[in-house]
Amino acid sequence: MKSFLIYTGKIILITILIAIVLDGIYTLVFMKSKDRGKIETVFNSNAENYDVIILGSSRANNHFIPKMFEDKGIKTYNYGMSAGHLFEASLMLKLMIERKWKIKNVIVEADLNLAINHRSESISSKFLPYIHNSVIIKDHFKDEKNFNEMYYLPFYRYIKYESKIGFREVFFTLIHKKTSAVQNLGFYPLEKHKNGNMKNNIVNLNPLAHNKSYEEIKNMCKANNINLIAVMTPMCENVKGMDYFDKVKKAYPEIHNYENAVTEDKYFSSCGHMDSEGAKIFTAKILKDFFNK
Amino acid sequence: MFFNSIAFAIFLPIVFFLYWFVFNKTKSTQNALLIVASYYFYSCWDWRFLFLLVFSTFLDYYTGIQIEKGKSEKSRKFWFWLSIIVNLGFLGVFKYYNFFASSFSDLLNSAGIKASPILLNVILPVGISFYTFHGLSYVIDIYYKRIKAEYNFVDYSLFVSYFPLLVAGPIERATHLLPQVKVKREFDFQMAKEGVCQIIWGLVKKIVIADSCATYANAIFDNYTSLNSFSLILGAVYFAFQIYGDFSGYSDIALGVSKLFGLDLLRNFNYPYFSRDIAEFWRRWHISLSSWFRDYLYIPLGGSKGGLWMKIRNTFIIFIVSGFWHGANWTYVVWGFINAVYFLPLLLSNSNRNNMDEIVLKWNFDSVKVILSILYTFFLTCIAWVFFRAKTITDAFLYLKQIVIKRDFGFQYLEPDRYNYELIVLIVLFVLIEWNNRNKTEPLSGKNDILKIALAIVAIMAFGTFSDYKEFIYFQF
Repeated sequence: MKSFLIYTGKIILITILIAIVLDGIYTLVFMKSKDRGKIETVFNSNAENYDVIILGSSRANNHFIPKMFEDKGIKTYNYGMSAGHLFEASLMLKLMIERKWKIKNVIVEADLNLAINHRSESISSKFLPYIHNSVIIKDHFKDEKNFNEMYYLPFYRYIKYESKIGFREVFFTLIHKKTSAVQNLGFYPLEKHKNGNMKNNIVNLNPLAHNKSYEEIKNMCKANNINLIAVMTPMCENVKGMDYFDKVKKAYPEIHNYENAVTEDKYFSSCGHMDSEGAKIFTAKILKDFFNK
Repeated sequence: MFFNSIAFAIFLPIVFFLYWFVFNKTKSTQNALLIVASYYFYSCWDWRFLFLLVFSTFLDYYTGIQIEKGKSEKSRKFWFWLSIIVNLGFLGVFKYYNFFASSFSDLLNSAGIKASPILLNVILPVGISFYTFHGLSYVIDIYYKRIKAEYNFVDYSLFVSYFPLLVAGPIERATHLLPQVKVKREFDFQMAKEGVCQIIWGLVKKIVIADSCATYANAIFDNYTSLNSFSLILGAVYFAFQIYGDFSGYSDIALGVSKLFGLDLLRNFNYPYFSRDIAEFWRRWHISLSSWFRDYLYIPLGGSKGGLWMKIRNTFIIFIVSGFWHGANWTYVVWGFINAVYFLPLLLSNSNRNNMDEIVLKWNFDSVKVILSILYTFFLTCIAWVFFRAKTITDAFLYLKQIVIKRDFGFQYLEPDRYNYELIVLIVLFVLIEWNNRNKTEPLSGKNDILKIALAIVAIMAFGTFSDYKEFIYFQF
């Protein structure tokens, strides 16, 4: 039995060592990553200057066309992330500020995501490789329920979120395989779908009276002299519970309601996402209203 | 509580410690502990299923004794049939009633008679097909006087409910397991070491091979109408490795865990994808079920004694019943039927026992023939797996039809940033490892075992699929 216990002990020790080594290798690869996604790009960046930074979910990512801003001489990048929540948008802004980015304006898409305070597992996991290399990231996650495992157990975060930051991602990062996330200055155009779902029911959705991440973004902008432009973006015609946007306006009067800026279904790829034509109309309105361009 | 869960990783060392350090005085204390652990393990799915398990155990225990004690043939027959009917009755109610009721109703509706079936709102108790077959083989063996009835209820209960085999086999025989639980187990370092190696290799099969293949196979089978021929072929291959990695991985873990407690279970898989014909495949795949059907269905039906047609009839019966055993769906029945059809040429040419020897490859023409026959058998198996995996028979036919008519063999996206071909290297590597170790139970034990274990752990951590958790496929049966 003694021999067996020693044998088992060896295997446990080897497992721990492997976890530590793999953790180090994976983290090293992500520390060098630049072209794979927006989070890696921001984390590994130096000080940059932007006239406009766009934050939010896919409803920012698919709706704001930075090229149209750039054509008017406004240096812009769309850091909206599909499936992202305000939790990740806030962390992105924190990282930009930490890296001494000079930002004049932040456009944040704040509408449906105001009903959610928690993190998006799929997007927030992409910050985790850097958790030991950034106090900002560590602090941002410290109240999350599995923080201790993610922070203290070597390689746990890479196993838990293997589909996002596992071997495939490490491999693609190593061979510098580019993704569509960082093309078009961060904008991801959608095409018209024949069978796109043009219905949505948000009757039961309510904006939180105090969305922690949104408040963080507001406070950061204020503290760093950044002009915050918070907007609600359009939805298709057939939405049940459209008064949600009125509720947002009531709770957060500073948020501009652009839900009606584009209404016709022909400009939508799905109910919550405009196609590239809709995005053009919408971006033009934003440019005109906020930048007189 | 799955074998690849954190809960099991806590449960197993606790039971191991108690078994060898606290309850190690006699075989009775050892058995009692394993029974309590097994019932706890089973209750983790749903404690209500325990009643069924205990009832089924008691039924077979009691009827076994009554059959043995029966003075007249009539009395023996009575207890025998009581056990058979109640056991199969449970299976019928929990597993097949809804299927038959809806199939019958569909049949009436298609004939223009309006009918809506009365369906039962029951969950299929996990492992019912396995422990029912344990009990059945025990009672049948007593009835045919092959074994003596077990009078110690704890020992018998352990034979039925032993947690490593409780939910997905291997389907044990009383002649193999009962004698082992009748004696006190002494710790055997070599056996325990082999057990650890088998557990780790089982985890590689499940987490690295099966679950990775499942991600791709699911993406392909769920969207087969929009994919090209190459993707569909890969989908069938991925599923073949998914089900093999899943079930043989489970069996390896079960056998490995059991070795830690000094109990040897029946081997369930013997590198089936290296079979040279379909008969050999069935001697290597789910061996405990194949041999169960051979001993308790094929031979009682007359086996091959009644001439060629009797042999063909009996082969079709066992394959169709075996398909149906897997689940209440016509796709499984067709899968069984296809395998029986594959058997037909072997039966007609009386060559179903041709490949009984070990596979040896040399630099000669015979070896090329062997490799081609292995590939051909695998090809046949993959076609049958399409029926096993598809939601309906129509889907399976359409899937195969698409492969033929699309004739597009290009690389394809399955979803953004995920290609159809990504797993090929992993599968080839896995096949090479298994091929080089085909004369062993698993590849890790033996010389340099610690190094091989370390590599296996690296594979599990780096290449395993964890985020999209998948249950063992055979738990549903």
